[in-house]
Amino acid sequence: MAFIATGPFDFFCSWLFVSICYRLFGGSKLRKLNQTLQAFTKLVLVLLGATFLLSLIVRLLPGSPADFYTNALDEEGRLAQIKDLGLDRNVISGYLHWLFDFVRGDFGPFFMSGGGTRPTSLIISQAVPRSLLIMLYVQVVSLLISIPLGLITAYRADKATDRVISTALFTGSAIPGFALALALGYYLGVRLQMFPTIGYVPMSEGLGEHFKHLVLPVISLSVPLCASYSRILRTEIISTLRQDFVTMAVSKGISNSRVLVKHVLRPSSTALITTASLNMGGLIGGTVIIDQIFALGGMGQQITFAVFARQYIALQSYIALIAVAFILFTVLADALIGVVDPRTKNRNV
Amino acid sequence: MSELLKVNNLDVRFDTARGVLHAVKGVSFDLKPGESLGIVGESGSGKTVLSRATMGLLTMSTAKKSGSVKLNDVELTDLSRSDLRSKWGTEMAIVFQDPMTALNPVRRIGDQIAEGPRIRLGMSKKDAKQRAIELLKMVQIAEPEKVLKKFPLQLSGGMRQRVMIAIAIACNPEILFADEPTTALDVTVQAQILGLISSLRKQLNMSLVLVTHDLGVVAGHTDKIAVMYAGEIVEMAPTKELFSNVRMPYTEALLNSIPRITNQSGIRLPVIEGRLPDPTLPQNGCGFSARCKYATEKCHTERPQLVDGGNGHMYRCFFPLGVNK
Amino acid sequence: MFKKLSLFSKLSVLWVGLMFFFAIAGRLLPIADPTEFFEVQGAGLFSPGHILGTDMNGYDLFANIVVGSRYSLLIAIFSVGFGSLIGGILGIAAGYLRGKTDYVLSVLFNIFLSIPNLILSLVLIAVLATSSDPNEPASETRRIIVIIISLTIVIIPILGRITRGATLAWTSSEFVVAAKSMGMKDMMIIRRHIVPNVLPSIYAVAFLAVGIVIVVEGSLSLLGIGVGNGTSWGSMLARAQGDLEYAPIALFVPLTFLGLTVIACNQVGDALRQRLDSRESKL
Repeated sequence: MAFIATGPFDFFCSWLFVSICYRLFGGSKLRKLNQTLQAFTKLVLVLLGATFLLSLIVRLLPGSPADFYTNALDEEGRLAQIKDLGLDRNVISGYLHWLFDFVRGDFGPFFMSGGGTRPTSLIISQAVPRSLLIMLYVQVVSLLISIPLGLITAYRADKATDRVISTALFTGSAIPGFALALALGYYLGVRLQMFPTIGYVPMSEGLGEHFKHLVLPVISLSVPLCASYSRILRTEIISTLRQDFVTMAVSKGISNSRVLVKHVLRPSSTALITTASLNMGGLIGGTVIIDQIFALGGMGQQITFAVFARQYIALQSYIALIAVAFILFTVLADALIGVVDPRTKNRNV
Repeated sequence: MSELLKVNNLDVRFDTARGVLHAVKGVSFDLKPGESLGIVGESGSGKTVLSRATMGLLTMSTAKKSGSVKLNDVELTDLSRSDLRSKWGTEMAIVFQDPMTALNPVRRIGDQIAEGPRIRLGMSKKDAKQRAIELLKMVQIAEPEKVLKKFPLQLSGGMRQRVMIAIAIACNPEILFADEPTTALDVTVQAQILGLISSLRKQLNMSLVLVTHDLGVVAGHTDKIAVMYAGEIVEMAPTKELFSNVRMPYTEALLNSIPRITNQSGIRLPVIEGRLPDPTLPQNGCGFSARCKYATEKCHTERPQLVDGGNGHMYRCFFPLGVNK
Repeated sequence: MFKKLSLFSKLSVLWVGLMFFFAIAGRLLPIADPTEFFEVQGAGLFSPGHILGTDMNGYDLFANIVVGSRYSLLIAIFSVGFGSLIGGILGIAAGYLRGKTDYVLSVLFNIFLSIPNLILSLVLIAVLATSSDPNEPASETRRIIVIIISLTIVIIPILGRITRGATLAWTSSEFVVAAKSMGMKDMMIIRRHIVPNVLPSIYAVAFLAVGIVIVVEGSLSLLGIGVGNGTSWGSMLARAQGDLEYAPIALFVPLTFLGLTVIACNQVGDALRQRLDSRESKL
């Protein structure tokens, strides 16, 4: 698994390990173990289902990949290549072969036009770190902006400050990311020449350039997220503010800002954590348009390319990775929620 | 001895969708240092609003407050929010009804107790922790070091209420408001908690305002009692005087509805028929007249005033019991 | 009912109404021929004869917006309509029957939801809209039908999961338990008690889904697999993207209409949801 050597993913893997251990051994009761196993089975089912569904759909693509990538060869070479690539297998056997390879970290071949292949993992090792980094930036920026906004709007609920910010946020949450990307790209990129509008520069080639190239994509992705995060947080905080323990905290004579940060924020943050984790998968692979507009070469762009080029084995691996990431982040979020809010641990699910 | 707390003509109204809700109607009482007052009334009588309004804890924008609350001769209603805040915890503290909802579910017990001493008394982290352990010992919790690290959910109801009392007395307040402190607890635990509050009051020389719907609860633990009905004090007297000479028919009805050990089994407890008047409607006459078995025409049309019947006994009734006119 | 709405909601309702009017009666309006090349290329707003200007090809933008609303809204309404219907039925089945049905359906919903919706529709469209001869593009009608089908498949699990949640809550409510204990038939309970209570949340989410679908359609067009050739707002975007430096207006006009429509749909959905919320809390 070539790509595992990259920094962020390494970090996430160890995080996953810790969280799974936490889930499994944190509660000593057998019932807990049973619950975890059941939840895990469900996740694995979802994962298998999603990939099988895709392999099924992709099989339906008219014109088999065999025709597509071997037409330059003579008949004998063609047949040999087809057999070599395993393109003569039926859906089930093809899927099982793919699955077996995937689990071992072999993401299958990526067909070159005119015959020949190269490993998909090469492409993935380039695209995944980019997508993960972008996702990380977007989440950090969105959370950093939305937490104070959520606090302010909830604290001043239905006053002028709240109305103005909330209306702006509502509008922000409805603006499609690509609209923002196109508009910002035009004004800040083309007109004012403030930021480059195309390409990705890795951190190793200069931190300044790296961030400069990511400003526009990160803004375009963050604005809708910020808006929805703050709205979620606002609703949660408003309902927390009605709780007795807030009045109790106020009656201790501590300042309002301390009450908000120390007593209100944490019990109000579970919905935000859940939403943020649900967005992770989407942010890794679902940023197709933003990836395309700014030519970032992340997973989104690779997926689009794979669809158009009928790279169905690669596509299957991409989607499987994203689904794994999606599930991984859901588990992580669950573990995090357990730490943030001890109420959830004792709840009977 | 001069008064510690003087509440004069305190009036609270809420703007609601159904109209103006008059929750507290011109209530006055006062409290000496170390003295304890029980406020008794059925649910909806305005006793909780009264205690919160006295502390200045009513934060809802729909609440309209008038009247005067003087603590150590400082007018609280004139204070800015931050000046008022400096009184909370150190001069006035409150214990809530349901410790389950009034303790922050996501913070450890130790942090919640130590927060007051740390922020308000400026203690160091270590001292505050020491103080928390000391407080937990004061409220008679065994193994305080272990409890410090727990979350409210991991404690029993009685333990939680003890923790809440510990939080309330953490900064040595002069007055403790206890808002139905035992209602959410098991009967066996109720007596322990009341005993604890009483002994702490004597030990720390605090004043106590004990709000409850149960006359039996206040009987042994307060120096005087105010009975509230529909937002007004209808009878107020030193505890002994009240129980020996009930003047107000409402108080009598409340007393009759307490089960007694001498009651014959199988007998139905008398209940107070009817319900509280709608607090959004203006009232003519005595608020209790519709439910009072002694009510006359006068009771329905004229409002009785609070009169002093001697011995510090005040009542709001035209035809007080045991007084011949 | 309209009078009680906030100003923002009123404007939103009006805007959605106007767009529907465009979609239905657009071609009857006195507008320019959307496919005619005019002399002025890249004209600005309020130019004579072209109220919203023209793009680099000389197409009248207003005419294209009006005509484009037809496909944009058609696709949104059909896919959300079918999606809500199927998703709603499946969701009610899962939430009411519970047990194995619920397990299987929930896993199925999650399978579809774990694939980002744009990618799912991308793959579906790529599969369905490609003719066996790669050199011959699929016909326009077929593409529209394919887009509707793909987006329907995207909408089903979203609506399904929400309906399931709502149904679960109502199924455990006392009046349903009471109806069951009196021997009322399941179909009857569903029709009398579940559907009327679940329907409002479906409406609210459906409005949000219209917004989602309009955005996805725009995204697909930008990727080059939309309806094609300037017949929807998304494809107007795609066409204008290349001329961004010369005629930015050709991009911003459809962008504005698309954005406003999404905002309006969200607001209407939000207003609906809030009405429901307040109804529940006051009871």
